[in-house]
This record gives sequence, C-alpha cells and structure tokens, in this order.
Amino acid sequence: MNARRESWARVAAGSAGSQQSTRLPAFSHLMNNSTSHPNRLSRSVDADGHDRNNMSTSWGRGGTLPSYPSQNGYWHGLGGSAQDMPPFFIPSYLRGAKHAEKLQEAHKAKLAAQREPRSAHTSNPGSLSTSSSSVHLHKMAPSYRGLTHEVIERVPPAFTDESVSPWPTRWNEADRFSQLELEDSGRLAKFSGTQKTHDEAAAVRADFPMPRQCGIYYYEITVVSKGKEGRMIGIGFSGPKVALSRIPGWEPDSYAYHGDDGQIFSNTTSGKSYGPKFGTLDVIGCGINFRTNTAFFTKNGHMLGTAFRELKLNMPYYPTVGMKKPGETVRVNFGQEPFAFDIDKMVQDEKAAIQAEITRTQTPSAASGGEDALIHQLVGQYLAHDGYVETARVFSDEIVDEARALANDEDADIPYRTAVEDMDALNRQKIRTAILEGDIDKALKHTTAYYPSVLRENENIYFKLRCRKFIEMIRRCGELNAQCHPEPTPSSKRSTASTQNNRNSIATDEYDFEMELDEQLGVHNPPPGWDNKDQDDDLEDEDDMEDKEAKSRRATDETIAYGQELKAEFANDPRREVKRALEDTFALIAYTDARESSLAPLLEVAGRVPVAEELNSAILVSLGKSSSAALERLIQQTEALVTELADDGGPGAFINVRRDFLQ
Amino acid sequence: MSSSTVSVSATTPTQHSFQRKIDDIKPSKTDINFVVMDYLVSEGYPRAAEKFAKEANIRLPLEGESIQSRVEIRRAIHAGDIDSAITKINDLNPQILDTDSALHFALLRLQLIELIRACTSSATADITPALNFASSQLAPRAATNPDFLKDLELTMSLLIFLPETGTLHKELTDLLEPSLRRNVASKVNEAILTSMGARGEARMRSLVRLRQWAETKARAVGKDIPPSLPLGLQDVDERPVNGNGETGDVMVQ
Repeated sequence: MNARRESWARVAAGSAGSQQSTRLPAFSHLMNNSTSHPNRLSRSVDADGHDRNNMSTSWGRGGTLPSYPSQNGYWHGLGGSAQDMPPFFIPSYLRGAKHAEKLQEAHKAKLAAQREPRSAHTSNPGSLSTSSSSVHLHKMAPSYRGLTHEVIERVPPAFTDESVSPWPTRWNEADRFSQLELEDSGRLAKFSGTQKTHDEAAAVRADFPMPRQCGIYYYEITVVSKGKEGRMIGIGFSGPKVALSRIPGWEPDSYAYHGDDGQIFSNTTSGKSYGPKFGTLDVIGCGINFRTNTAFFTKNGHMLGTAFRELKLNMPYYPTVGMKKPGETVRVNFGQEPFAFDIDKMVQDEKAAIQAEITRTQTPSAASGGEDALIHQLVGQYLAHDGYVETARVFSDEIVDEARALANDEDADIPYRTAVEDMDALNRQKIRTAILEGDIDKALKHTTAYYPSVLRENENIYFKLRCRKFIEMIRRCGELNAQCHPEPTPSSKRSTASTQNNRNSIATDEYDFEMELDEQLGVHNPPPGWDNKDQDDDLEDEDDMEDKEAKSRRATDETIAYGQELKAEFANDPRREVKRALEDTFALIAYTDARESSLAPLLEVAGRVPVAEELNSAILVSLGKSSSAALERLIQQTEALVTELADDGGPGAFINVRRDFLQ
Repeated sequence: MSSSTVSVSATTPTQHSFQRKIDDIKPSKTDINFVVMDYLVSEGYPRAAEKFAKEANIRLPLEGESIQSRVEIRRAIHAGDIDSAITKINDLNPQILDTDSALHFALLRLQLIELIRACTSSATADITPALNFASSQLAPRAATNPDFLKDLELTMSLLIFLPETGTLHKELTDLLEPSLRRNVASKVNEAILTSMGARGEARMRSLVRLRQWAETKARAVGKDIPPSLPLGLQDVDERPVNGNGETGDVMVQ
C-alpha cells in the first residue's frame, strides 16, 4: 500500500440535528459517547474532477445532492472573489500536456481552498436544520487528517504542488507603463498618452512568464488599431526587470518584432530584417521553443521562421508589447481563443519527433533477449506480486511455450520461468479477494493464520480492517433494510445485487478451502460477531418479508454488538486518527439507510481496494519483499525522469506519461 | 554501454532526493492493469489475457478478436513454418503483405534460411530447392531494392559456409539465431494490429523504451539522479539475466 491518502468523508453525526429523528434508538448510547465534537460538521472530499474519480458517481446517487457547478460558471457566480481568479483555460496546443494537467489540478485545489471559508460561514450549526446533506456538499475541501479512507485512486497532486508555474492570462495591471491603459480584463492594451519621443515608448508585460514546462509556449496579438500616425508596435518577450519605458527589443533581455519596419530586435536598438511590416487587423504570434531555445513569430497564420536563438536558460520571459503612438491598441490571445497560426500542428510535430526517438531507443543487454526478456519479467513479477496468481501461471506457461516453439527443440534452454507457484502469492490472493468481496472476517482469519505478525505489527491496518468490517455490516443492514422496504434507487439496487452475486460465487469456490483452513487452525476463535457469513447467505435465500424483518433486526443487533466491541477495543486508544476514524465510522449508524446519506461514500465498495492494497503491501514487507512491483517502480521512475526532463522545457515537456503511454 | 553500469556502490545510506520524487509518484493500479492487459492481447498471450480479465475484473479489449490467429501466425514463424504463416496472414488480410514489401521480403528470406538449413543439415542433402526458391521468389524482389539485394546475397552465402559451422561470421550466425524469427514475428504482429487500426506496438514496450530514453537523456544533460535506478526484479528472479553477472533490472546504459 502506498501512502496516497484521501480525506475522510466525515461528519460528526451528533451535530446533524435533522437526523436525530431517523437515528435508531438502539444506537444512541454509542453515538453520544463517540462524538466528541458535536459542532464539527466538516464534510471533506477532494475536489479532483478526474474521470476515474469514483466519488463522482456516488455523489449523484443520492439524488438530493446539488450538481457540482462547472469551474467557470462557479467562479462567475461568486461575484467578488471572481477577480482573484480568472476563468481557467488551456491553450489548444497544450491540451493533454502534463503541465496543463498540473495547472488544472492546482486551479481546482485553489477553488476548493477558496470555497472553504465561505462554506464554513454558511454551515454553522444554526443553519443545519434545513438540509444537512446538501450543506455538506459545499464543503468539499481537502483535509489531511491522519487516518484516512481512500475513496479515489488518483492523487490530486495539486494540494502539495504549489510550484506549478502558471501561464500568462492577461496583461499585468501592476507591470505596465502608466500611459498604457488596459481594458477587457487585461486583454486589451491601448496607448493613451501623448506621443513619445524617439527613445521612449510604453510597454506592458503579462501577468506570468511563459512557462518552460510547456516545451513550446505561444501567444498572439491582434493589432486593433495602429493609431493615426504610425505603427510603432513591438511584440515579443522580456525579462521581469526590463524598463517599460522602452519599446521591447531595445533593452537587454528583451526581444521583439516591430511592426513599423518588420525588423527583429534583441537586446539592442539595431534591428535585423526579418519579416513584413504589420499594422491594423494583422494577427502576430510569438512563440518560444524551450527545447531548442529559439523564438519565432507568425503573421496572420504564417510562420516567419526562427527569429532568436540561444535564449537565456534561467531568465523568465514575459510576453511583452510596446507602442508609442496615440491610439495604438492591441488585443492579446493567450489561448483563451483559437489561434490564427496552426500552433497545434507545430507542437504535434515536435511530439511526434520525440516519440520517434523513443521508439528507436534500444533497451540494453540485447544479448539476453533484451526488451522481451525484461518485459516478460516485469509482467510476470507484477502478476505474482499483485496476486493475479492464475494469470501469472498461465502467462508463464505461454512464455515457455513461445520459447520452446522458437528454440524448435524440447531440450532447449528455456530462458524464462517465474516462481509463481509460491504459496505466498496464493495466500495473498485469497486475502485480497476476501477483502474485495467485503468478507473482512475471512481476510482477518487468513492473515492471522499465515502471517500472524503482520496484524500485530501493523496495528493501524488491523484497525482499518476492523472498521471496514463494521462498514460492511452497515452495508449489510442497509441492504436488508432496503429489502424490507422496497423503495430502491435503481443504481444502489444494482450494485447490491452484483456484490451479492460475487460473494455467493466466491463462497462456493472457497468452501472447501475454508473447511480445510478451519481444521488446520484448530478452533480459531473469532470474537463474537465475526462469523456472520453463514447467516448472510441464509438471508439471501429468504423471501418472506416477516422473516426478512427479523433478519434485518438481527443484523442490526449484531452490528451494534460489533460496534460496541470495536469501541471497547479502541475507545482508549490515544491516537487522534483512531478516534476520528471511529467517530466517522460510528456516524454511519445514525442513518436508517446510510446509502442514502451524505456518508454514502464511506460505504462505497471501492473503499475496500485501499484496505486490500495496504494489507497486501504490509504482508510483502513482512516477507522481506518490496511493497511495490517492479513494473510499478518502472512507471514511477519514468514519470520522475520525464518530469525532470520537462522542468526546464526539455523534451520531457512534450510527454505526458500517463496519457501517452498508459492509456 | 558506459561506465555507469558498474555502480555497485549504490548502497548509500542517505536517500537521494530523486528517490523521494520517485516515491511520491503513485501510479494507478487501473493504469497498470490496462498496460498489462494491452500487452497480453497485442503480443498474443490469449490464455493469460483471459485469466487476467477474470482476476482483475477488466474487459478484454477489442483487438482480442484477432488474438488467436495472431498467435498461430507467430507460432508458425517461430517454428520456421513460413509458408503457412504467409497463408494465414493472407487469410486474415491480403493487403498486409501487398502493401509492406519489406515485411514480405523478410518473411520470404526467413523461408529461404529454413530451406538452406534443411538442405545443408546432412552431407547428402540437395541444395536445389533453396536455389530455386531464391531465384523464383526472392531474386525478382531483390532487383527492385538494394537493401533486399544485400540481404539476399548475405543469405545465399550461408549455402557455402554453413557446412563448417563454428567459423561463421557474426553477420551469418545472426541469420541462424532464433531472434531473427522472433523479430520478424513481432513485426508481422505489429503489421496486423496496425492494419486493424489498433496501436501497433504494445504500450508496455513503448513504456520500457520511454524509461530507457528518459534515463539516457537525463544523464546526458547532467540531471541529478542516482547512479543507478534499480527496478527490484530480483526478488522474483535472482538469476542474472546475462552472462556478465549484470542483473537484468539495472537499466543503465
């Protein structure tokens, strides 16, 4: 198990005044003691909008939850604070780029952070009586509390990643020459002063430098008006300290293409002829290729060629325009709108060239079968490591078959064979399967039998398993309850059915094994309430309503009994995260059907995965093995190396490992 | 290979900062499973793919449809039965070999090598079939392309040298290596996949190359990374991958 941790979806149930009536009386003694912060209603969930975010489905299910507003819309709606953060956009040529993804995540994190104080204001205890479940929703802020349930698989890196360089979004109000006026949220720059002397001009820089991590950065301006008397407009980029009273290109660290003579200027007042002149309604583009350290310009969609080479590697370059005649006006497009020049294709070509280079790369040690042997090992080890035992075995067979066919000779030295028959892999697979099926008892039993030290030495995992067991029991109660009062929401019904099917099929598969194990272990004495699996199975066969209600009651009683046991065992645990987890878990029983409550995410089947992974890793570590498979490490290394190659605008900037190679 | 291969002293007590960056990256299991499945299907391990679909609870991708015939073709090529491989490829899609003359030539040359191997295996064998095949099938194609011609000439010289094995040039022994069949087989597989509109190369392969490329690049520009980046394959397979005692997982070049 790795350390990726998501925030607990949590509610201190005691504070939910409106829920009091639905709380089962039988639970109240548990509840009252377990909620130490009656006023805390901190509902937190990360705001990662990733496609695979399991949360998103669960939010929709309740039907009572307001839909999550889209980023831009949300901000416009916020009025005052919208000025702090303009709508987020991704320039077309950066779509799918790693840096764009990072920025987007950072943006979402900021949104979430800004939402936090607002919702704290609205969700004080007094306002709770209306609808607690929808109030929670506004508080989707991240939290870093110790013990966590993982609800989604991807980490939102934004919370830790403050270092993502944003791209320019507008001309900077605070970084302009005073006679240059900005309009249209900083997109329009207009010279409003009196005419400048030959040496003077008015320039403005963008709010952020062109990020090297983009690999290629490009923006365009449209000359809205060249003014009455001339077209002394310069477009380019400059360092942060270059004087704004001069036309860009004339000062050190400043580079530009001038409209009056079509010349380019870098660091000096003497230009070089480069392209055509430009004036009103012309669209001029300016781009830097950080990989090659060159800059280029475009006019009305046509490439004008490389303008500057050997740009400084450590200088932040800000998009800059300068002008000097009254009435001169330019409008900038940092990617908010489509570009006139096909910059997308240029970036695609750059990517393709790098891809081709990668394809040509040779893996070393070609003598030993090189790449093929390496991949065979990676796959075989991953399958065994992660407990895909059958697949690992069959894969190994197929590899051997292949090698044999190739060698054309039965006695040939078969180069590959994995030791997948090892019992550990089988045992770990059983434990994992049990958890994924929601059968925590079985997982505990197997773990205690095969790896007695693991639970002792990893108390937090033991605790999580116990909590998970409670959650599974609540799930069970909810399912039974739903059967007694058939008013199901279609989606939850479906998921219930499928889990039960799974459980049944596994139950038969594993039956013999279970018997065997029980014999082996002698009488393994589970604490009361652990072995309710058989009862579960009975229940599913029953159709009689009355009987069902009885079962439901019994399940509830058992759940309470187990909850008390859990509480007795951990109530005096001094660790804060344990206390919190207990509170959150116990809060579930406040609802007659927790699946309909705002706590539904806790009940998600997906929540089993991280517990299973964590236990699997702990077992591996206890066996002296690495907690992650070689293939996983290979991906980690690749990502890290590519990031390293992207930070300075190198070739890595054109690679999005996940998007280009893993999907 | 550079000297960095022999960085045995990697047991530094302090952790390299780059290692922390590596540890901070949390690949998604879903992605990894996808890459593994993609590999099993595109490189033709149908039974493993099926098991994996079951065990990991993911769906077999669409390219799965051609998997059986691709496996049969691979098997035929690996076994040196080029004739039936070509028939099977044409059954699947006659366009593949028509449009890729280099691939077709590579297959035919493989067939010629098999014929030469057969006819030189005993002292009494007749070399006529090999000669006939070369002149009827390969010579007309070789005439159109200098690379083909060079390959053909080299292959034909096997006829002269093969009886006294052990004194062959490396160029010639390479022709007799199983790896040649494997390379041709995997090219055929890629061509079939591409003809079906699928991605030709398995992502796993691209990924392994990307890893290698990125490390090479990063070292070339002097990035601060540890002298070696082990993958930790040893705990499954302690055996050194090649004769040099270099463990296979050190992908340092």
